[in-house]
Amino acid sequence: MLYKRYIEIGRVCFIRLGDDIGKYGVIVDLVDQKHLLVDGPDGIGRKVVRLNQVALTDIKINIPRGCKTKTVRTAMAKEGVEAKLAATSLVKKFAAKNAKAQLGDFARFKNRVAKTASNRKIRSTVRKLKKSS
Amino acid sequence: MKFKCAELKEFEIVGRPLPKGDEKMPVYKMTIFAPDEIVAKSRFWYFLRQLKKVRKVNGEILRMTEMSNSSPTKIKNFGIWVRYDSRSGSHNMYREYRDVSRTGAITQCYRDMAARHRARPHSIQIMKIEVVKAADTKRPVIKQMHDSKIKFPLPHRILKFNKKSIFVADRPSTMQ
Repeated sequence: MLYKRYIEIGRVCFIRLGDDIGKYGVIVDLVDQKHLLVDGPDGIGRKVVRLNQVALTDIKINIPRGCKTKTVRTAMAKEGVEAKLAATSLVKKFAAKNAKAQLGDFARFKNRVAKTASNRKIRSTVRKLKKSS
Repeated sequence: MKFKCAELKEFEIVGRPLPKGDEKMPVYKMTIFAPDEIVAKSRFWYFLRQLKKVRKVNGEILRMTEMSNSSPTKIKNFGIWVRYDSRSGSHNMYREYRDVSRTGAITQCYRDMAARHRARPHSIQIMKIEVVKAADTKRPVIKQMHDSKIKFPLPHRILKFNKKSIFVADRPSTMQ
């Protein structure tokens, strides 16, 4: 099949925009073509989010449509959603981007110095190899 | 006129004509959807004046309460009966919306009426709003969501455009 990630009941989605950025939830129901009812851990609870706020993941759990929060939470715990999610590249990239944004000026300076030093070493090694070949 | 807020609020307004002496005056109750209390009171008198022989000058508001959403995490199908003035006449309509709250559905209705019929809020009158069971809904847009195994992909997903990448070497992927 061409498409692997669907908007469907039980799909785990990662909130990439808005007030709940960085949190995740399971799609419990669909309001319309552009709004989802998601339910997640305490940080997000049960709320309506817009489709464009959301990034789909590969994780899908089995829950009935519109089920209660307790059912969702037990299903999520059973499937180990949190651990699976932390392993996805989406979450890893988001965490890395966040960490970079949180860096202070000194940390950025240190990174810059380290980067120029390593680049210099790489370039000099490449030049040496070119000369010798 | 009004209605540029994020979401309308639902008010229950009770009012009556001012008593002349010991006379017992009839009491009238209305449900008004408005962005704030001031507009709500204004609309209350506007409708009451049309229905009964009482004006704001000769009347008083006994109680005004803002109604809260009964089940804010349960998706419902709302049927809304509307009366609106078009450029050439007045018409009744029945419209359906799916939302989590009455106020959300009414807000959608106002936006929708403006978009589809260029109707301004002052020319729209909400006659009735009711939760409709899924089997009794009429509109295909609403009925299409009544599928217990509903599922659709997001083909060719274009997310917010990053202006830093106007010119790129490789075509960006729209696979979600």
